[in-house]
Amino acid sequence: MALVLIGIGATVASFGISPDQAGRWGARYFPLAGSLALILLGLIELRAAPGGPVMERRHLPAIAALLGLSVVYVWAISALGYLIATAVAAPLALWIFRVRAPIGLAAAAVLSPALYHLIFFKLLGVFPPLGRYFDVLDVIGGY
Amino acid sequence: MDIFPALLGVLSDPLLLGWVVLAAIVGMIVGAIPGLTASAAIAMLLPLTFYMEPLPALAFLYVIGKSGRYGGSIAAILFNTPGTAASAATQLDGYPLARQDKAGKAMKVATLSSVIGDFTGEILLIAGVAWIAALALKLGPPELFAVYFAAFIVIGSVIGKSVTRGLASAALGVLVAMIGLDPISSTERFTFGSFDLTNGIGLVPLMIGIFVLGEVFAQIEQRGQPSEMASGGGDANHNRLTWREYKPCLPHVARSSFIGAFIGMLPGLGSAIAAFVAYGEGKRRATSPEQWGQGALEGVAAPEAANNAVSGPSMAPLLTLGIPGSTIGAILIGVFLIHGIQIGPTMFLTSRDLIYALFACGLIGIVIYGLIGYFGAAFVGRFIVRIPTRVLYPVIFLTSFVAAYTSRGNLFDVYVMVAAGFAGWAMRKLDFNPAAFVISFVLAGGAEETFRQALLLSDNGLMIFVTRPLALLFLVIGCAALMMRLRSLKKQSGAGTVTP
Repeated sequence: MALVLIGIGATVASFGISPDQAGRWGARYFPLAGSLALILLGLIELRAAPGGPVMERRHLPAIAALLGLSVVYVWAISALGYLIATAVAAPLALWIFRVRAPIGLAAAAVLSPALYHLIFFKLLGVFPPLGRYFDVLDVIGGY
Repeated sequence: MDIFPALLGVLSDPLLLGWVVLAAIVGMIVGAIPGLTASAAIAMLLPLTFYMEPLPALAFLYVIGKSGRYGGSIAAILFNTPGTAASAATQLDGYPLARQDKAGKAMKVATLSSVIGDFTGEILLIAGVAWIAALALKLGPPELFAVYFAAFIVIGSVIGKSVTRGLASAALGVLVAMIGLDPISSTERFTFGSFDLTNGIGLVPLMIGIFVLGEVFAQIEQRGQPSEMASGGGDANHNRLTWREYKPCLPHVARSSFIGAFIGMLPGLGSAIAAFVAYGEGKRRATSPEQWGQGALEGVAAPEAANNAVSGPSMAPLLTLGIPGSTIGAILIGVFLIHGIQIGPTMFLTSRDLIYALFACGLIGIVIYGLIGYFGAAFVGRFIVRIPTRVLYPVIFLTSFVAAYTSRGNLFDVYVMVAAGFAGWAMRKLDFNPAAFVISFVLAGGAEETFRQALLLSDNGLMIFVTRPLALLFLVIGCAALMMRLRSLKKQSGAGTVTP
């Protein structure tokens, strides 16, 4: 059913793509073909196997926790900079994977941001993502 | 003959050799870790290679792909868990051998067979690729679109348990690739007013999400499960491999190498299919087929030769037509593009030295992982079992974020990576096909371009695809592959539980 719904949504969006200056459908062909293929395949799936594979629900809370952490982590990077966000995300990720040793979690909070910062933003010279509201890099002068 | 100067050039460059050695070790370790694949390692390390020269960058990732395929056999034999899908067939006889305290012998057979298979594939690639490229130069847009079409159908329908879900994965890949500005008319497509989406979805964050973060999500379900390792060392007599023992494996290795090389040339089929086809064919021709599955050395040799023989020829469609034959090929496209190298048949005119140097690195990489594997596979196994997955996967989780950001210095890409990671996990759980999704995402741009060019050339609209004989041939090949797959699934569903 999800395939059919995505297909219908994509078909509607495909018709929203403007034709080119000569009025041809050039830019619409592929999005439309992909959308219609999705509707067709979704209908075949619905007819062939209404149930589909059953997903085990036991691990869903942990999956949801990791997904939540992922989204909040990216938002935190944009708001508070890479160092603070990673210092919080590293022990939380370990916690989700059932690491409970306080020293290990504390070490991860300190070492992870430091090591990633050193490798990617210092050695490779990638410009770090700066926090919109606050960034430790402003306090320590870029280092 | 271009390969000999290239080999000399690579051997006289210690830094490049260092990258090849490092890649052989990294690939073997990553391949041997259950759950992690060479594709995941390459996707994660891809942004690092943007800061390298083109040849070391390509060689590093190419050799990781090769040794990663081999590394999967270590996990299959020692842990009864295939490190990669391609080594699942190796597990059938490898683990029973390990249970008989012959893990060292099994790993030596796997190493020798992988090296012979990989060499065969690489030599066939080197011998045939320039010829295929010359032929590809003669193909026009209608023929090229027909090749793309056949690739979509084969990739979507042949891999995985369900044809409809495989094809749906391919269609989803096409739709996601359409996000952004139309490359010809600059019309916005599927951007929904978002400025970030006008740049399209980046290949690197998508790959990292699907292959790396998706695996981290999957590993949550394995939390707390201890790794059991069969004895990797043991009695020296049990683990010494004699010529008398390996000699019966050689016909299987030779046959499987050619099976793997042939399957490797076809876009999307990959090592796992090659390994199982070779295993089935080997068992059918074996003098004692009843021993296969109980711990036959030939049962390790055949799939290992086949899955590694795929590696070289799978580069042929990528280098000659710009069509990636595997997920690793799809990732390598990113490296070529970042370094401004136009892939396709003209590469053999513009970047010939680079291509042959890459092949030379591949050959040297095979020797290196062969030597390390023959003498040190048991050590690698013991090393892997000491890595706690509850620490490893959080580290991979954090690395995937910074790697996705590094590709374009853009946090939107990191959101894309998170979404792709969750989608990759969900696709695996629901029997969709992440590999088909990613390869179709990569193919879609080229397919659309050739389709629209063909229509501009045509006086009869879509009829151009059926009036040009070569184009028609490829369209028929695509449809025939779909029909054959449906027939084979129908047969299987009569006996088992496979969905069409």
